[in-house]
Amino acid sequence: MKIVGVAACTVGIAHTYIAQEKLENAGKKAGHDIHIETQGTIGTENELTQKQIDEADIVILAADVKIAGRERFEGKRIIQVKTETAVKSPNKLIEKAAEVVK
Amino acid sequence: MMEVKDIVDINTIKTNINVKSKEEAIHELAGVLLQNEYITNVEAFVEDIYAREAVGQTGIGNYIAIPHGNSHSVKKIGVAIGITKEEIPWETLDGKGVKGIILFAVGKENDGAQQHLKLLSLFARKLGNDEVVEKMLQSADAEDVKEALCN
Repeated sequence: MKIVGVAACTVGIAHTYIAQEKLENAGKKAGHDIHIETQGTIGTENELTQKQIDEADIVILAADVKIAGRERFEGKRIIQVKTETAVKSPNKLIEKAAEVVK
Repeated sequence: MMEVKDIVDINTIKTNINVKSKEEAIHELAGVLLQNEYITNVEAFVEDIYAREAVGQTGIGNYIAIPHGNSHSVKKIGVAIGITKEEIPWETLDGKGVKGIILFAVGKENDGAQQHLKLLSLFARKLGNDEVVEKMLQSADAEDVKEALCN
């Protein structure tokens, strides 16, 4: 399946990027196509394209703060968690996403 | 091209450190940052680190902790890395203790620091990689740590 998501933590220095790495690795390992945008101190990186969002089966928001551009995901299936959850159990989160899509 | 190795300073990596608590570990590594001129004041810096600790766990599991925060006492963005002799208690996501502590030094005003922040984000990603972390924790010296993170 195709997954897009956003990672954003409080300070925007560490958890955001660790969550991104863990989610992307877990997603790829499970055979999915996955893109995680980061919103941190440095700004938005790996910004999702409209095409990626349109094609996505599910959206994972791993965020401890209000994310920018949430309206981009309107009408899509969204799983929202804290960055902690993505850092702690990325594989479980991806499994859950797959179940939701089923 | 910017690479993670550009932000990993061999002088701020300490292996086999003999600390027994989170407090000792943070102070030890803040001292290393002071010696290497990343920060201007240990006490002020540590206070800002604890302000972030109060918000939530910085133990990310896999024996790694990432204390961080924004502090006026930071004059140069960087990281200090400590590998402890023994596992020490820490609030962590997986309930285990900690053996690798990565103390991030980031200022409050980061104008003109985009490049360093970018490097820091690339560095943070490495900590999300289980293999990198495992290799780092087994390091005997600073060179090994750097190699684990930069490969």
